[in-house]
Amino acid sequence: MNQVGVEIPKVDVIDKVLGEMKFGADLPSEGFLFLKVLRSPKPHAKIISIQTEEALKVQGVERIFTAKDILGKNLVGAITKDQPVLASDRVKYIGDPVALIAARTEEIAEEAARKMVVIYEDLPAVTSPEEALKPYAPLIHEKGNLLMEFHVIKGDVQVGFKGADVIVEETYTTTWIDHAYMEPDAGVSYLDEDGRITVVCPTQNVHYDQKEVATVLDLPLEKVRIIQCATGGGFGGRLDITVQCLLALAVLHLKKRVKIIYSREEVFQVISKRHPLKIRYKSGAKKDGTLAAVEVDILGDTGAYASYGGTVAIRSAVHATGPYEVPHVRVRSQMTYTNNPWSGAMRGFGVPQMAFAHESQMDLLAKALKMDPIEIRLKNCLRIGSDTATGQTLMASVGIGETLRKMKEWRDGAAICKDDSKKPFIKKGIGVGSMWYGIGNTGIANPSTAQMEIDINGEVRLFTGVADIGQGSDTVLLQIASEAIGVSLKEIRLIRADTAVTTDAGATSASRQTYISGNALLSAIKKLKQDAIKEASGLLNIDERDLFYEEGRIKSRTCLTTSIPVKEVARRCGKMLRGEGHFDPETTRLDPETGQGAPYATYAFATHLAEVEVDTETGKVKVNRVVASHDVGKAIHPKNVIGQIMGGVAMGTGFALMEEFVPGETTSFVNYLIPTSMDIPEVIPMIVEEEEPTGPFGAKGVGEPALIPSAPAILNAIADAIGQRIYSLPANLERVLEAVQKKESITNGQLAMINDH
Amino acid sequence: MIPPFDYKIPKTLEEACQFLWELNGRAKMIAGGTDLVIALRNETMRPQVLIDISKIPELRSIEEMDGMISIGASVTHSEIASSSLIRRYGKVLSDATSEIGSPQIRNLGTIGGNIVNASPAADTLPPLMVLNAVGTIVSKEEKKEVPVAQLFKGPYETSLKPHEILIKMTFPKLSSEMKTSFVRLARREAMAIARVNVAIVLQMRNDLIQEIRVSLGSITPTPQRMTDAEAVLTGKKIEEELVRRASKKISEAMVHRSGVRPSTSYKAPVVESLFLRAFRKALEA
Repeated sequence: MNQVGVEIPKVDVIDKVLGEMKFGADLPSEGFLFLKVLRSPKPHAKIISIQTEEALKVQGVERIFTAKDILGKNLVGAITKDQPVLASDRVKYIGDPVALIAARTEEIAEEAARKMVVIYEDLPAVTSPEEALKPYAPLIHEKGNLLMEFHVIKGDVQVGFKGADVIVEETYTTTWIDHAYMEPDAGVSYLDEDGRITVVCPTQNVHYDQKEVATVLDLPLEKVRIIQCATGGGFGGRLDITVQCLLALAVLHLKKRVKIIYSREEVFQVISKRHPLKIRYKSGAKKDGTLAAVEVDILGDTGAYASYGGTVAIRSAVHATGPYEVPHVRVRSQMTYTNNPWSGAMRGFGVPQMAFAHESQMDLLAKALKMDPIEIRLKNCLRIGSDTATGQTLMASVGIGETLRKMKEWRDGAAICKDDSKKPFIKKGIGVGSMWYGIGNTGIANPSTAQMEIDINGEVRLFTGVADIGQGSDTVLLQIASEAIGVSLKEIRLIRADTAVTTDAGATSASRQTYISGNALLSAIKKLKQDAIKEASGLLNIDERDLFYEEGRIKSRTCLTTSIPVKEVARRCGKMLRGEGHFDPETTRLDPETGQGAPYATYAFATHLAEVEVDTETGKVKVNRVVASHDVGKAIHPKNVIGQIMGGVAMGTGFALMEEFVPGETTSFVNYLIPTSMDIPEVIPMIVEEEEPTGPFGAKGVGEPALIPSAPAILNAIADAIGQRIYSLPANLERVLEAVQKKESITNGQLAMINDH
Repeated sequence: MIPPFDYKIPKTLEEACQFLWELNGRAKMIAGGTDLVIALRNETMRPQVLIDISKIPELRSIEEMDGMISIGASVTHSEIASSSLIRRYGKVLSDATSEIGSPQIRNLGTIGGNIVNASPAADTLPPLMVLNAVGTIVSKEEKKEVPVAQLFKGPYETSLKPHEILIKMTFPKLSSEMKTSFVRLARREAMAIARVNVAIVLQMRNDLIQEIRVSLGSITPTPQRMTDAEAVLTGKKIEEELVRRASKKISEAMVHRSGVRPSTSYKAPVVESLFLRAFRKALEA
């Protein structure tokens, strides 16, 4: 069929460019009650009383819900269930939901919210991980403020450092990052024709949402239905529960249709963030650049609730070395609760933060050893047969070396802009950054399912629980299906992300859907083909073993002219052909003491090169160009891969230079700056295809990898330009200027010393 | 959610003045709304009535008369940026308006709005300061002319009374020997409030600085001219050392007026550099 590796229009593109796609806020509102959440203005306080009398007197208020109205378990959370849908006794961050108002209109709901009286008793708030870990720190959750501690231990770092000729040790910090997806969270809920509580909203995982809603409402799963509406990005922010439980709670009690739309300010306040990490990183290398040992201490702030805090602690530890072979590794990763905004999944689960640290370290080592930054990476990078920090031996599809070689070739052949004598205050620099990223969840079951069927009328249907959040999984899955089943893409009907008609595919996260759900789909198709061959055998009166499936037909091995289209088989035998697919990548659980194991079935790799210019008088950094080389296994849809890379570089530029959520200050896009089209560099994508034998047509993933190397490359380029390194993100005006001034004072000092002689 | 309000669209200035007089502080004027609508949405302003002054013809024009240029308060940033009159006789202002926000904001936002919003970072204020602009204020009672610096009491606070309308800004045409420059620094390339902005008008004669006017935004609570720096330079021959001395006067003036703030350690060297850059740019203009 040749549907893989070709550029076809994304299946949803026409609706999107015509503005016809219905996002959460676009869903119907006529005859719907409007919901509004009353939230905590305090970081940590005891709720003494919630007084609703005055608010209930407002004309048009239907009902006000509090924690008392939650009949099931009032706790949700991706891994650790510790986040109440409505706070019952205590609030733990500014924005914690306290009450839910249902009213005839949004205005009425807001007026009622203003009339609500909540009496709080302030409790001491914990504002940093260091504070959280102090012996008598106020407890945010009863079990203690340390959510997770995880270690990766390989070899003996003391021995490693003893054998090192050069050691560099630095501390890196990153801050809260917002996902800044396109549209605010919003949705509707109603009872469907079967009396199920149905929630329609943007999400990255309908089946997870279904379980949470059912638990909160104390309903059996089949009484809850979640349908994903058009979703303008997620980046991890829509892995956690957003509006689902609130909507469902109102419908459960009111049996009426309800709608909610968060304001952008609310989205900034109450949706998860990227975890701020503090990373102390010590690396040692031999004279020839070979890494001898790394020792890393990671301290993270998950805020008031766990969300994916544990995952980030583990994944950041597992990825701490970067895509390099290191004989001796010791990583300690801690994640703490605080009363800060809660952090969760945000494009990379801790790996973007780690890449900033390990790539800065690689450049520091290269500098100390007077080595070319690409050469030192090539010297150490993982290859087939390498053992990772967790002791996993990589057997195939290790493209990091190829991304580096391609980058070196590009750099050595390119005209890199040099400093302009007319603008002496502008310093130019280049930098590289590499990364690796394990596809799918870390060392835990990670299954996906799918079904493929052909009915007696010849209609071909693909059922998947996968939520396409804009990244293009609808198109990619249809391509895989079309290629594998030999039926044109347009003839396949896609039914997806509705819990009533699809089965669990797991989350659209961890760059896993092409690899894992793509494989689940292939397994469904394989079974459908077996089914088709079996039926065809009866129809054609040929032994099954003499039949094979090719390009949508069942063909005879012995007679070249005997074949029957698969649709014809379904029609003629009067029976639906169907295949149920399942895939769970082969991983092993990580050892709880040493972190050893094979946490992922495959890894994606990438290298970026950034060219920047730094205004040394203002600290302003301009990224002129980013070359992005990605090993994706196989690009099922190359344009889509390039799209991911473009978006990743844009987001990485923001992470590097300007994005910064300041609790208590940042409210919206007025003061949370993301790059505009004028700030985004030219991007030169390079696709490397080191085929993954277990991947669908060799594919791995690219969603998160696209972002991860940009900021490290940009930060290394800044260091190259000004001769001074920045250790805290973002590299904003103030930090860059401070670094320039530091450089000047050092240079002046050195000059003074020379003069003394 | 914006609380409800009444909306009036006067066709004449007299009608607008009458509305304002009657409503006595319960009304706000709207032209482009790029600042006002945000304030309404945040409920930092809750006017009962909005008076849309964007349809009053005399507030919508750019005119040249008797050596003066006047710009109606409802003229948009885009219109100023593309006006041949302004580009010839007040280029520092057209340059500044071409860098505000984004195309959408420039198409909606007006010069009058930018002034009366009274942000210390407003991009039109340093140019208006160095153009020696004067605002014309009209009310039911009177019509008066007020120099731009006197339009402000403090950050986000004008000296206008609730029933007064700023109808236009007027400035003397710059002669063709007068060079200008506008330099702006922000955290990103578009859609960002200026961290510092600098406007300069410069006239040279026989290698001497005959006249220089300097004003910087985002460094003082209300706009002001950098008179100490101007004094250092006026009548002098251009020398690196002299211009540097003038630049120091600017950071001193900032600290003198605004005090030492958390941002001072960043801003002090930056305002000096940006002034030097703006000065060079003016020379080369």
